[in-house]
Amino acid sequence: MTDLWPRLEPLLSEAERPARYLNHECGCVRKPDASFRFCMVYPDTYELGQANQALRILVNAVNAQDGMAAERAFLPAPAFCDTLRAEGIPLFSIESCAPVREFDAVGITLPHELAATNVLETLDLAGIPLHADARAENDPLVLGGGPCAFNPEPYAPFFDALSIGEGEEAVPEGLALIRRMRAEGACRADVLLALSREKGWYVPGLYRWLSEDEAQRAGTWAVPAEEGVPACIEKRLFEGFSRSSGWEPCIVPFTEVVHDRLNVEVLRGCARGCRFCQAGMMYRPVRERSADNVVESVLRGLAETGYDEVSLTSLSSTDHSQIAEILARLNRACEGKGIRISVPSQRLDAFGVEMAGLVAGQKKGGLTFAPEAGTQRLRDVINKNVTEDDLFGAIDAAFAAGWRRCKLYFMIGLPTETDDDVKGIASLAQRAYDRAKAAVAPEQRGSVRVSVSCALFVPKAQTPFQWDGQIPPEEALRRVNLLRRSVKYKAVDVHWHDPATSFVEAVMSRAGREAAAWVEAAWRRGARFDAWTECFDEEAWRQAAAETGIDPEAIAQTAYPVERVMPWAHISTGVSTRWLARERKLAGEGSTTPDCTFERCSACGACPALGVDNELARPRVAAGPNAKGNADQVAPGTDADLFRYPGCGGEAVEPEGSARREDFGKEVSHA
Amino acid sequence: MPDPSLFRLRATFCKQGRLALLSHLEVARALERAVRRAGLPFAVSRGFSPHMKISFGSALPVGVGGTGELFDLQMTRYVPPETVLEALQKASVPDLMVKSCAYIEPHAPAASAAYPLSTYRALLSRAVRALSVPETVTVVRKRKEKELSVAEFLVGEPELSGAVLTFSLESKPTGSLRPDVLLRACLDEADDLPLLLFVENASPSSVEGDAPTAPLRALSVTRISQASRAE
Repeated sequence: MTDLWPRLEPLLSEAERPARYLNHECGCVRKPDASFRFCMVYPDTYELGQANQALRILVNAVNAQDGMAAERAFLPAPAFCDTLRAEGIPLFSIESCAPVREFDAVGITLPHELAATNVLETLDLAGIPLHADARAENDPLVLGGGPCAFNPEPYAPFFDALSIGEGEEAVPEGLALIRRMRAEGACRADVLLALSREKGWYVPGLYRWLSEDEAQRAGTWAVPAEEGVPACIEKRLFEGFSRSSGWEPCIVPFTEVVHDRLNVEVLRGCARGCRFCQAGMMYRPVRERSADNVVESVLRGLAETGYDEVSLTSLSSTDHSQIAEILARLNRACEGKGIRISVPSQRLDAFGVEMAGLVAGQKKGGLTFAPEAGTQRLRDVINKNVTEDDLFGAIDAAFAAGWRRCKLYFMIGLPTETDDDVKGIASLAQRAYDRAKAAVAPEQRGSVRVSVSCALFVPKAQTPFQWDGQIPPEEALRRVNLLRRSVKYKAVDVHWHDPATSFVEAVMSRAGREAAAWVEAAWRRGARFDAWTECFDEEAWRQAAAETGIDPEAIAQTAYPVERVMPWAHISTGVSTRWLARERKLAGEGSTTPDCTFERCSACGACPALGVDNELARPRVAAGPNAKGNADQVAPGTDADLFRYPGCGGEAVEPEGSARREDFGKEVSHA
Repeated sequence: MPDPSLFRLRATFCKQGRLALLSHLEVARALERAVRRAGLPFAVSRGFSPHMKISFGSALPVGVGGTGELFDLQMTRYVPPETVLEALQKASVPDLMVKSCAYIEPHAPAASAAYPLSTYRALLSRAVRALSVPETVTVVRKRKEKELSVAEFLVGEPELSGAVLTFSLESKPTGSLRPDVLLRACLDEADDLPLLLFVENASPSSVEGDAPTAPLRALSVTRISQASRAE
């Protein structure tokens, strides 16, 4: 493979943060003799991608195979992308500084809906043809995966194949197949045909895309064009998750990255059933690692990486049946070592606050709660099983325990939302402030702060709200202004996210294959790094719509009856469409559905479809310390925690002033 | 617990190769993690956010390497220095490698203040007969241009031997002159072309012949020693 370092090096003294491009980090693996080479790309900069869980898991999984090497690649910062183009240097891998296009296969993770133009930027900078059907025999196979692969169509023409679901086993298996067939001299088309017959692999080029009328009659938009290609692609699940070690080798970066700490995944999946949340649907069933596993993994990971902070990650870590035991044991083991333990996703109740208090030590930054909606009616619609009493109980506990700042997350534009619900947000926040003030000593009341952060609801594929439209950005701003006018307290401030980016997210989440042309046209007009506030180019997307004749407003905003066949009908998370439709109907009635890890099964279909069950380390007891009371995310500690918000897939969460949107959620599934 | 100030360890390390491109903060973070990986009994501060009691010598700019950089570490108990060194070396990456360890007096001056005098060695892209040093160098501080008088910081005469330039700078309580900035100014004057820093494992074999075909540039800049004061 070509070593680009001699050409890259002279440019680095002028580059911003050269440590992004250096390699040589502690823990990175090089296998120069491997005959099959895979490059795993995160389509954003090193700082955003290095901590990505999919990247770490898959690089490890592939490196564990004999004769296979996995390297990492990231997009350079925008200015350095331009420098590389001007110098004629293609996108390179970190470990070997080799051109990405020289690898046998390239994996690009799709962590969120605003990464699409960066996929094209990646391919273009790598010198790989953008369209799968334009690639030559000696071009690498381009594989995709991650959360957005659950509606792969807007990306379909750019990928040779997509891995649906968890990639721990699917990716090394898929690569082994590619390697074997390539070694036997098989052509691309034959390799892809064989891959399409493997469980969990979707090869878009082997499906005929139907028209609206045809699709509604056929019950699917994508029809296999060859014999033996499956009509429906069911996600892969890593069945050994709960028994696998929570520690696996990880690279310790030099330059500061997001989530710059040891991350130990304590459980996977969440069955709370928030109806807007894609992560809650696509990682089912719930699988816990045992307390022994978690504690050993954390201590080993800290010793091997030298990190001074560990985060117990999952969609709802305080729901872990042994969370209290885990935190108590870790606290004892880490005492006196200056180690910070954080639990990024906690429940909105006094138990959640108690758990936050266990690890917060003396330093209490802010706490974050996500009631999501301002009235009980709307919280019942979205199945956010949280009452005002839960919230106020959490506030009382938090402010009595020493916290002085609290951030409340809400969504604007949820299905059935009225102006009363919006005003309800103001009312709830102000009453929360009153409770907080009452919980602290009079002389400290001046330091009590409550802030409200709202994002525009994004209807996500594979959720009960997939049929609901997004409200137009102008209407979102009207509602935000109504909210701002309704908040009378000076100590309660309101922040909101730019609805224009949420609009693009909604289109990418709901569109069919036709949207790929829109993405490509936007990229050609300069759109890239859309998740960076300062880079988002609304005009490019608008002009791209005019140029391609795509109607993004219709895609984002049209509400459909639940009978409509959606463009991702051929991709299955295991949760049945019938159950999603029933949940949508219950939402309309304001009826809630219980969490099956605490109460009865709601028959979502994931367990029978995937042949597995929830795997809990211990039963979750409704009346015990893990009482389901109520949901949600409480992030203890510093503000850095506040935007790590893996729970609810619907909304972008970022700290105020942050230029970049986090990729929330965990891209376990990938490749 | 015994008074941890009794076990004050000073380590030297190199910063070289492509890791010369790390910033001071990145170096500090990497070394603190190496100390943790080494499993040493380091002291932790008390208070709101407890952290390792470690302090670093004077900062090197991005792109400038060092052969004998310093950090001080407070330990909670005595561990033989050779044991510490072995553990640290096992936990370090080659281009940011700990070279030596020794206990120092509890009240010895901090590594960051003890050695204001630094000697740098630059390897140039070709041998030159003479290099003139400008009287002043313009730097940007807090978005304002500022003129620094080179004589205020430069100690002794720069020594030029073929393609190797050696010079010493003293940092003052009021500020300091960065070696890469001074070098850039010298080379700019030499051929009025922008300087490119090449740092990776540059060796004298990279030095070109006498014929000035390309702009004169520095292949590497390295701090080769630090001393307590100007002679």
